[in-house]
Amino acid sequence: MVGQRLIKWARTRSPWLLHFNSGSCNGCDIEIVAALTPRYDLERFGAIVKGSPRHADVLLATGPVTRQTAARLKRIYEQMAEPKFVVAVGTCATSGGVFSGLYNILGGIDQAIPVDAYVLGCAAKPEAIIDGVAKLLAKLKGT
Amino acid sequence: MVSTFKVPIGPQHPALKEPSNFTFDVEGEYVVNVTPRVGYNHRGIEKACENRTYLQDIYLIERICGICSHAHTTTFCQAVEECGGIQAPPRGIYLRTLVAELNRIHSHLLWLGVAGHEVGWDTLLMYVWRDREVVMEILEMLTGNRVNYAINTIGGVRRDITPEQARKLTKALNILEDRTKHYRNLCLGEKTLLSRAIGVGVLKPNVARSLCAVGPTLRASGIKSDVRRDDPYAAYDVTPFEVITSDMCDVAGRVVVRVDETLQSVNICRWLLENLPSGDIRTKLTRRIPPNEVVSRIEAPRGELIHFVRSNGTDKPDRVKVRAPTLGNILAVCEMLKGGYIADIPIVLAAIDPCFSCTDRMLFVDSKNDKNWIWSNEDLKRYSTKFYAKESLPGRR
Amino acid sequence: MSEEKRAPTEQKKAPLPKIEPQEIESQKIENENSMVEEIKKFLGEDLIEAKVQRPRRIYLKVKPGAHRKTIQFMKDNWGLYHISTISGLDLGDNLEVVFHLNARNVAVNVRAEVPRNKPKIETITDLLPGSNLYEREVHDLFGIEFKGHPNLERLELPEDWPKGVYPLRKDWKAPE
Repeated sequence: MVGQRLIKWARTRSPWLLHFNSGSCNGCDIEIVAALTPRYDLERFGAIVKGSPRHADVLLATGPVTRQTAARLKRIYEQMAEPKFVVAVGTCATSGGVFSGLYNILGGIDQAIPVDAYVLGCAAKPEAIIDGVAKLLAKLKGT
Repeated sequence: MVSTFKVPIGPQHPALKEPSNFTFDVEGEYVVNVTPRVGYNHRGIEKACENRTYLQDIYLIERICGICSHAHTTTFCQAVEECGGIQAPPRGIYLRTLVAELNRIHSHLLWLGVAGHEVGWDTLLMYVWRDREVVMEILEMLTGNRVNYAINTIGGVRRDITPEQARKLTKALNILEDRTKHYRNLCLGEKTLLSRAIGVGVLKPNVARSLCAVGPTLRASGIKSDVRRDDPYAAYDVTPFEVITSDMCDVAGRVVVRVDETLQSVNICRWLLENLPSGDIRTKLTRRIPPNEVVSRIEAPRGELIHFVRSNGTDKPDRVKVRAPTLGNILAVCEMLKGGYIADIPIVLAAIDPCFSCTDRMLFVDSKNDKNWIWSNEDLKRYSTKFYAKESLPGRR
Repeated sequence: MSEEKRAPTEQKKAPLPKIEPQEIESQKIENENSMVEEIKKFLGEDLIEAKVQRPRRIYLKVKPGAHRKTIQFMKDNWGLYHISTISGLDLGDNLEVVFHLNARNVAVNVRAEVPRNKPKIETITDLLPGSNLYEREVHDLFGIEFKGHPNLERLELPEDWPKGVYPLRKDWKAPE
């Protein structure tokens, strides 16, 4: 029991992030990188961006999911180890945004993989991204 | 020269079910040939533009690229205004140009941080992006958003600048100029960056010309070609500025060109603020645009951006064709990578300032030794840092 | 870059001159007009239409097949080396290819129509190597074949997109 609580404490104190762009305009992606820079500093939550899906706990996904990236997105999600969480950053990742209905678009991250948190905005501001990650951690702590 | 020789890679290779952005034919440490794959961001925008009105199209066009979004709307609005036969009022044109130059500053500073990150110098990324927040705050103050400003509309701009905002902008420009000069001295004096940048990714002028490269990639090969000077639009025919070129033809030249262009942009913003005319910021345009076709070219931060708009008398365009500047540089970057080390790939790719997705996957094919493998961007960066750490002499770092 | 220096106080009152003053316009159109005359002499019957829309914009319509010698002429006489892009158009009965070129700081747009049921046109990649990707894009989205192109493969559409379906043609509607 103590072991379980310790593990949960460790997980919520140091979420390792993986960032994936599924065809977005790069607006939300630069705001995610800006969230890691000194002004907003996401790293004070213990978050760090890793390159490999095998090391990450949280997938930050942007973009309305083009057909070419859909298979890769699913593969990356499968490669992540449990427990894993997905945060859809930006309006495009939530619903397709301005691109919803276009012929090469699936229409949001949740059309390909299950999503735990949605961060809205076009582009989502760094403060909103931090809020989204913090709310996700609070939800994890509560469970 | 390796001829088109397809290596038979079967489905049993687990890593190869995912498509890769680049395929490199290698021999040992050297890259022999590069095959790019673009199209991951193909969303079908050109087709969608035909089903939406001109005003709705602005919001779609803006999101072609989030980093140079203002460039896309400027080109599109200019094209539609020309189709309709009107011109935005002078104050609107000056404000459009002002936001365009602020966009250029933000884009070049972003690039400088990313270039630092690609050579493994994350400190530069953190410092530069901290200073980039100055221009992001200004853009939010002027336009209401940090990214995707939505300040352009057909017939002019949507928001005016107050004297209080102009004062804050002047102060911010002074800070930006200071910090950019500091980064210029830093980048040109810092041996670790120079050893990764000088002589790397060489693009000779005649090759750049024949492959039709655009933007700072072209200007860093000594060719004085800038749409703001050659085909003036907005307020650029009255604004004093210099076209920055460099004879170095390599990554270091591209760093110099971009940093100096940032300093030029600061001066342009100052001039525009001092000489801002009074008056309206917007002219009204009819919903239906008479049949016409217009080619609109501007100098986006990454290079020449061209829109071709055809109107047909209704309130929806007949055809909107967009060619983003990165597409013009892809052939040039493939040429630059040939003959170089594998370890140079990240910085050479970053030096054309591409709008690729962040998790690139690259396929390496060594046909001589009969190997092939897939690396992600992170794997490649780690390899590069280790490679150059081996290269440098002990005690030099 | 010679504009008169204005004192700060008086310049807020006086409106600035129009961005394209009439005097400079007429001078510049002379340059474009002389370029059009040259190309008319060279092409003769192959030139269907020539239009100077405004300073720095020329539109030429040529017979399909004559676009190559037009581009060669521009390379030899006007110092052409830069192609901005190639657009495809769906005109209803026919498809059209527009080459957006840049010579002497004038945007010269050369267009050629191809029949809808047989959309084939010669490539220009040997004349302008930079047009490689642009021709692939037009082929991908419109189905126009560029004869002689070294590798006319998919550029933008996904690999599992059905062959023979060209989304940017007017008769293709996105499935709901």
